[in-house]
Formats: sequence, structure tokens, C-alpha cells
Amino acid sequence: MASTSSSTPAAEVEERGRKRKRAAGAAEPAAPAQPSKWRTRREHEIYSSKLLEAIRLVRAGPSSSASGAAAPAPPRGWAVREAADRALAVAARGRTHWSRAILASRRRRLQAAHRARPRAPASPSSRHDAAAASASAASASAAAKGTATPPLARKAKVLGRLVPGCRKLSFPTLLAETTDYIAALQMQVRAMTALAEALSAVSATSSSFSPP
Amino acid sequence: MSSRRSSSRGNISEDEINELISKLQALLPSSRRRGSGQASTTKLLKETCSYIKSLHREVDDLSDRLSDLMSTMDHNSPGAEIIRSILRS
Repeated sequence: MASTSSSTPAAEVEERGRKRKRAAGAAEPAAPAQPSKWRTRREHEIYSSKLLEAIRLVRAGPSSSASGAAAPAPPRGWAVREAADRALAVAARGRTHWSRAILASRRRRLQAAHRARPRAPASPSSRHDAAAASASAASASAAAKGTATPPLARKAKVLGRLVPGCRKLSFPTLLAETTDYIAALQMQVRAMTALAEALSAVSATSSSFSPP
Repeated sequence: MSSRRSSSRGNISEDEINELISKLQALLPSSRRRGSGQASTTKLLKETCSYIKSLHREVDDLSDRLSDLMSTMDHNSPGAEIIRSILRS
């Protein structure tokens, strides 16, 4: 099982730096990193520690920056989901459209929350921001017209809505983004499942130790 | 891998699209069961959409579960250290 991540992390970083230099000359950035990178043990570990930190921050008090309510609310499910998505986007190292869209929308929502009420609507504003971010990022959107027949274009639109920040991408780019996004989601599910199992094992053990 | 950069200039070659599609198909769970050669692209996209939706649902469920566990975990702070060591091993 250890043969999947045979190259050392230092060599991986170096290789990516070389690829980035080569791709800097091209008009459009190269295709996102191989989706198989989401299967390496190293990525899993990196994401797991990021996830733990993010969840800890969530637990420390999402309402600390709010109107100063006395009782800190327990972390809601959506807060954990936001933290997990954000950790996933950070782990992608910003080379895919969907990861940039997640980080951009979250930053904008946080800024809006600091100005106005702490509770900002999640989905409409994030979709709107995601569309704006993708419009500025994707330069190949003009080529979208000729690559898909109508029924395919409908499905591609639905897919573009599902993957954050990919509504206006060309068909091939959308496919590449989707591949990476699915692989990343799979890793997210694996990591969160492991974390949940570990947490429930810990709390089960501790409850059995506590005196009746 | 593919050194042909025909991306933003003219039409993307169909080969590249097919290559992307087959990569996507390799990720989907259904491809492991059937070992099918070529499903139609429309069906593939539809399956991809439903797969992403189910992954989202799964992440939501796990988030709820984790938030419940986190709230009950306040009593034992060394638990987080244990978990980190478990995840690393």
C-alpha cells in the first residue's frame, strides 16, 4: 500500500514547481493536477490535519465575532461542512476552478458578515460569487458553444451548477474540473468518515471509563 | 502527457474529450461493477451529476455527525490529540 506515494514530498513539490514554470508560458494554464493525487496517503494526512484544525476553530466559537451573545452555540452541521469544504479547497493548492471558487465565496461571505448581520444566506450569495469568480478566471468560455450538442449541453449545465465555480467553463475544462472535484470529494468522505469513527470510538471509551 | 495545446485557439479535438470522459468514467462507482466499454456521454453526465449529489449528501451527513460528536467531546480535550495520532498512523 505504501507504493502509491513513493516519491518524497520534497520531490513532489519540486516537480510541481517545474511544471508550473513550463505552464507559465502557455496561454491557458495546464490541466489541473492528476486526480490520482487525491488517493495518496500524504494528501489524506494533510487534509485530515487541516480538517481537525478547521473543526477546532469551528468549535472555539463561530459566534465569537457576532453580536456578543453570552452563550456560545454548539457547532452546527453546516459550519462543519463549510470548514471541511474550505480545508479541501486549501488542500487543492488553488490550481482548480472549484477550489478557488470555494475560497473566494467564503471570503466574501465573511466580509459581508462582518459588515452586516452575522447570519448571511449561504447558497444564493455563494452561487452569485462563484459565477463572478469563474467569469473572471475562465478565459476559454467563448469556445463553449461548438463543443456540445443541446441535450448534452443541458446535462453539462447541471453539472456546472453542481461543481462550484464551473458554470461558464468550456466543456473539456468542465470535465477536467469534475474529475478532480469528484476525486477530492471522495477523499473528503474518506477522511471525515475516519474522523467520525475515531471520535465515536474515543467518546465511547471515555464514557465507559467515567464512574457511574 | 498531452503536449498538444489546441485549447483556446480552435476546436478541442474529440480525442481529448474522449480521454477526459474516460477518466471521469473511471472514477464513477458504476464503472467498477460493469466494466463497460463505452456508455453514452449523456448517461455518463447524468450519472456524474447524481454521484456528486450523493457525495454532497454524504458529506452533509458526516458533518452533522461530526458536529454532534464535537459537542459531546468537550469533556475530554486529550481526545483531540489521540485522534491526531490515530490519523497519522
